[in-house]
Amino acid sequence: MEVSVIGSSQVNLGRVNDTGLCSFSRNLNTNISIVKSSYSKRCNLGQTQNLVWPSSRSTVGFSLRASASVNSQAVVSEKASTLTKPIDDVKLYVGLPVDTVSNSNTINHGRAMAAGLKALKLLGVDGVELPVWWGIAEKEAMGKYDWTGYLAVVEMVEKLGLKLHISLCFHASAEPKISLPQWVSQIGESEPSIYFTDRSGQQYKDCLSLGVDDRPVLDGKTPLEVYNEFCESFKSSFSPFMGSTITGLSIGLGPDGELRYPSHHHPVQSNGQCGAGGFQCYDKNMLGDLKHHAETQGNPLWGLGGPHDAPSHEQSPISGGFFAENGGAWETPYGNFFLSWYSSQLICHGDRVLSVAVSTFKDVPITLSAKIPLMHSWSEARSHPSEQTAGFYNTAHRDGYEAIAETFSKHSCKIILPGMDLSDESFPTESHSSPESLLAQITSSCRKHGVEVLGQNSSVSGSSKGFEQIKKKLLGGNAAMEVFTYQRMGAYFFSPEHFPCFTQFVRGLNQPIQSSDDLPVEDEETAKFLSGTKLQLQAA
Amino acid sequence: MSVVTTDPRFLLLLHHHHHNHRRATSFKPVPKFQLISERRLPFHLNCRQIASRRNNVGTRHSYPLNALSSSGVETSESLDVTFRETFRLQRPDKLEGKITIRLDCGKNEEYGQLTVGCNLPGKWVLHWGVNYVGDVGSEWDQPPLDMRPPGSIPIKDYAIDTPFGRSPEPEGEVVYEVKIDFNTNSSIAAINFVLKDEESGNWYQHRGRDFKVPLIDYLQDDGNVVGTKKSLGIWPGALGQISNVILKSDAADYKADDIIEPNLQKRPLQGFYEEHSVFKEVFTDNAMSISVRHCLERAKNIVYIETDLPGDVVIHWGVCKDGGKSWEIPSEPYPPETTTFKNKALRTLLQQKDDGRGSWGQFTLDDGFSALAFVLKLNENTWLNCKGDDFCIPLTSSVVTAKDSGLTHSQDEEQLKDFVSAEKFDDTSDSNQTGAAYTDGIISEIRNLVYDISSEKSRKTKSREAQESILHEIEKLAAEAYSIFRSSMPTFTNTNLSEDEDLQPPVKISSGTGSGFEILCQGFNWESHKSGNWYMELHEKASELSSLGFTVIWLPPPTDSVSPEGYMPRDLYNLNSRYGNHDQLKNLVKRLHEVGIRVLGDVVLNHRCAQYQNQNGVWNIFGGRLNWDDRAVVADDPHFQGRGNKSSGDNFHAAPNIDHSQEFVRKDIKEWICWLREEIGYDGWRLDFVRGFWGGYVKDYLEASEPYFAVGEFWDSLSYTYGEMDHNQDAHRQRIVDWINATNGTAGAFDVTTKGVLHSALERCEYWRLSDEKGKPPGVVGWWPSRAVTFIENHDTGSTQGHWRFPGGKEMQGYAYILTHPGTPSVFYDHIFSEYQSQIFALISIRKRQKIHCRSPVKIVKAERDVYAAIVDEKLAMKIGPGHFEPSNGAQNWSLAIEGRDYKVWEVSS
Repeated sequence: MEVSVIGSSQVNLGRVNDTGLCSFSRNLNTNISIVKSSYSKRCNLGQTQNLVWPSSRSTVGFSLRASASVNSQAVVSEKASTLTKPIDDVKLYVGLPVDTVSNSNTINHGRAMAAGLKALKLLGVDGVELPVWWGIAEKEAMGKYDWTGYLAVVEMVEKLGLKLHISLCFHASAEPKISLPQWVSQIGESEPSIYFTDRSGQQYKDCLSLGVDDRPVLDGKTPLEVYNEFCESFKSSFSPFMGSTITGLSIGLGPDGELRYPSHHHPVQSNGQCGAGGFQCYDKNMLGDLKHHAETQGNPLWGLGGPHDAPSHEQSPISGGFFAENGGAWETPYGNFFLSWYSSQLICHGDRVLSVAVSTFKDVPITLSAKIPLMHSWSEARSHPSEQTAGFYNTAHRDGYEAIAETFSKHSCKIILPGMDLSDESFPTESHSSPESLLAQITSSCRKHGVEVLGQNSSVSGSSKGFEQIKKKLLGGNAAMEVFTYQRMGAYFFSPEHFPCFTQFVRGLNQPIQSSDDLPVEDEETAKFLSGTKLQLQAA
Repeated sequence: MSVVTTDPRFLLLLHHHHHNHRRATSFKPVPKFQLISERRLPFHLNCRQIASRRNNVGTRHSYPLNALSSSGVETSESLDVTFRETFRLQRPDKLEGKITIRLDCGKNEEYGQLTVGCNLPGKWVLHWGVNYVGDVGSEWDQPPLDMRPPGSIPIKDYAIDTPFGRSPEPEGEVVYEVKIDFNTNSSIAAINFVLKDEESGNWYQHRGRDFKVPLIDYLQDDGNVVGTKKSLGIWPGALGQISNVILKSDAADYKADDIIEPNLQKRPLQGFYEEHSVFKEVFTDNAMSISVRHCLERAKNIVYIETDLPGDVVIHWGVCKDGGKSWEIPSEPYPPETTTFKNKALRTLLQQKDDGRGSWGQFTLDDGFSALAFVLKLNENTWLNCKGDDFCIPLTSSVVTAKDSGLTHSQDEEQLKDFVSAEKFDDTSDSNQTGAAYTDGIISEIRNLVYDISSEKSRKTKSREAQESILHEIEKLAAEAYSIFRSSMPTFTNTNLSEDEDLQPPVKISSGTGSGFEILCQGFNWESHKSGNWYMELHEKASELSSLGFTVIWLPPPTDSVSPEGYMPRDLYNLNSRYGNHDQLKNLVKRLHEVGIRVLGDVVLNHRCAQYQNQNGVWNIFGGRLNWDDRAVVADDPHFQGRGNKSSGDNFHAAPNIDHSQEFVRKDIKEWICWLREEIGYDGWRLDFVRGFWGGYVKDYLEASEPYFAVGEFWDSLSYTYGEMDHNQDAHRQRIVDWINATNGTAGAFDVTTKGVLHSALERCEYWRLSDEKGKPPGVVGWWPSRAVTFIENHDTGSTQGHWRFPGGKEMQGYAYILTHPGTPSVFYDHIFSEYQSQIFALISIRKRQKIHCRSPVKIVKAERDVYAAIVDEKLAMKIGPGHFEPSNGAQNWSLAIEGRDYKVWEVSS
């Protein structure tokens, strides 16, 4: 719009009487100088920043307060305790892109990351999660580590004042493609038994079989030794950041980093039917161990292989065969024998790898954790077939997660549990799936053993429903958790469909459900504004 | 494609205003060298002569030099020549000159004179304004009338453009000068200016800022840094934006006791004289002649290249086979001074001619290659090519005939990308630095945030403001991250996804799109107010407009207004305007509805003129039914002393900008537009100057008034580099898309990007610009077609204002583009009632017949130098540009539907 004629006397005659502004700017300068000195003080204090800003744990707290909470908590720190619920107890992390560091060990889309991280910081997110891939850092040869790409990311995160959770990934990723180290894959070509194998003889090549944990299959070294050296190298390379920027570390225990068998790696059937997956005990070493185990149990015939009548990947597991709802072999002594062995192998593997991590990182001030899956499909069936094939002997009359929680408890490790966004409603009854009750079962086992649960989401649908569910899980009841990691940053994450929902979610998290009673009575304008803010939020 | 280094301190290449951007074409130094090629090469004597087959390739852009085209030479030598061409080369050159600033004080110390001069040729204009004593910030004011030299033109409300006059210096050197007289007793504190060269469209600043000449000895230091205007149309990037959002103080440099009290005492003015060096890019004409001789005996082609370009000239070359486009490296031997470049090309340094006037080279190539392709490299940053393409010289073999040399643009680009890959490919390695820069931004931001929340006094307003600033900032950062992440994921495009969702209920009416099949008519021009009864005139034309196929009409702003055109609204409930009165408007809307046209009201929500002065004499108290006071005015325009919050967008400087963050303002505006809808019967809105406030508010208003259709005017400058429009306008369209997004898609926006790209493509015959890097339309219509309202002209850009007029005579190409493409096309009133009417009608008819809608898929099939062609929804094919295109009759059977000057449209015949 352009205006060519400006004839009115009221237009732009203003000569500014600036006394008011002058005093304003004086005011402003004074305030800034205060802030400045405190600010630098805090910088110097480093880890003891809490002293300076009692109401918040970190700089992040500031942006949260300023952006999310209207009743100006920075000046009313003593008021914090009067809030209905100390919501700030939930720390929110966001996962960085899987391929943050490229196969050639450089940062992918660095500018996007920089902008994205800054947006998260402003939004009040506490930190980010960075997957560190075995196949990238130890790509070329055993013991030859290249951390440059990851160091660059960590520095970037540190500069932004965000916290960092590291996920050590000893598995491969399909999309984007990140393989196991080349030298491992080469070994695998001549020695396929280092991989999990299913009944049809098909190998799963995205991580090593737990059957070789202690076997010197990697040029004379055992995988556990290799993992251990990897951890040691990581620790020494990143020691300057440990405890300051890097606050947590999780260690990969299997496929997708989770403690499980790769029982579900077959693509979902076109009819949408999700089978129970398959047992993965058919590599040479596991079969040998099974045989030995059967013999010591006095039932050598049970050790010849896995259950013969286990359903194939696409079959509905409960209609017949091993997992049949009534009269399935899973309820027989043989079933008990096999499932006990199969699941204990997994637990022992978890125990071994956690030991490695603990021995390496015990003297570093970071929290250790590892991820377990939420195998919720068919979890309403009595036999819990999906959990069985994945290695969790959890049935209608046996709690399979007690032993897991116990193991984690022994190592003082926390459990990362996905699926916080899933609600039963979104699964049709015929899928026999109840993510919510399974989640409740696992968290209760964990609580019993004093193992803290760190939450994650399973999908990035971006529906406000998913976020509602997460919020419910985070804030609701006594199962509240301390850290939630949202997976994960990328194009979709920042897209107009998704990012506004996420923004709203974050702000909802950090803005306690406050009744207007919590607001100073005389502050009517603020109260009005609150409702206004909510409107804008939805638009944001 | 040429890139020239210039001194960044003096050459400002971003444009502040919506002016037409032109390239330096009128000024060309006389070529220093004339190519004389009588001296022929000895080698042709050794070759057997074959029949002359003169190839006419490239004649469209050939400028034969006299010496070469003289008939005598040609006949005697053409026997063995298979190709001969002379190319005109425009060599970018840097001229250095100076800007002089002289301040003279009169003897009685009452009158002074400021003289600004420049000794570089050009069409110089001084763009200037003044500061008054006591002004805060760096906003300019217009000088009093008696200070304005003759010929001065006011620009907006805050600046003056004064053309430079020529005044010969004693030594014969021409100097361009402007003299400004002033009275030292006036309250003017400083004169601010920048220089503009209208010839090249470039602006010249002083170290990145305005030149500032203080007229009193006190001048608040740094005034022009702190208050850098937001309205300049420059997108400073995420970081720069922060500096506008946060408090305007550089906290790091401040000391608490550092406040300067304005010292209003004047001291006698001191005269001075200063010189600043200045650089200007000009294009010098040079030429290159190429001849190819084919030697049958040796089965070789001999290419001779000769040029008058001074200095070292490197030919960066390769050969092509079978008319293909990929470069190959021929086998040795190569000419002297040849190196291999990354195994992709060869580089040969031409040999200096004996007389020192240019250089030459000779390339002997085996038979079997169809062409020699090359570009010229003058230095690391300067490359010359053939109008955007490689030079492509057809070669002859015993059997193959010479091929067309027109290679496509895309290949050229790829080649160039290879060349510059070393410089610009390093995104990953500098990401650390980038990260650091971002961090700095964040730290200062947090600092300001902390200030905001700890300042108890201004707590209420500040935290509110901070919240909004941060939300804005987060949005912008997310958009940036999104666009980069997305661009690295070629298989994923957001727009398509959301479009698919939109499509599911097929005739869902959304205020952003209407039915999806709308065709808009802008129902007025800049002069329409003059008749005094425009509503009546349109009333007469209603049925005609309907029969032309328009479904929506945009009427001029209806309210009481300070300016006759209606864009300076005052009393919003008073609908008597220069266009007619309240009842006439109602009647018109009723009539339009009768003929099936929906009506958009032009609502100006960004600013409003006041009716009363406040206690300081500032006009910021409103009258009429919405009698707001200064709390409704944004706080960051010092002229209007608003007591509201800071503006959530850019400021429009001519009137008080409304503070939409005020609840009462929003409530009143909602009531008002609902009243307009009810009382007048408007179906929707055209939203004026929406850059001025946050799109989220627009969403509020639209949700309240539930319009059938809404479109916003988000107009800022496209990106230019060295006076030439960038091919990639993603940042520009991103800003528009961001705004649409902020409205949650409840409004569309005028596709300024498409208009800009069409300008360049048509004006310069660069039709390749009409395809973006992903092969999609380069405007908003390529990203979010359903929300793009495409247009080629409106009352501001064209009409009698002509701020950014569409290339003359090429309007129909523009309409052939927008009326066949997705998006919602808008046709300007002046064009409807012009000689174009029948053609526009024909295009609209085809659009309707083929049911093209705002989401129709478009496939670009050709985007080359002189022709652009696309197929829309597999039902309609179109081309614009002088080049050739015919849709291939494969599955579809195309029949020509309309043909005009440089455009054709086909439709599928059933």
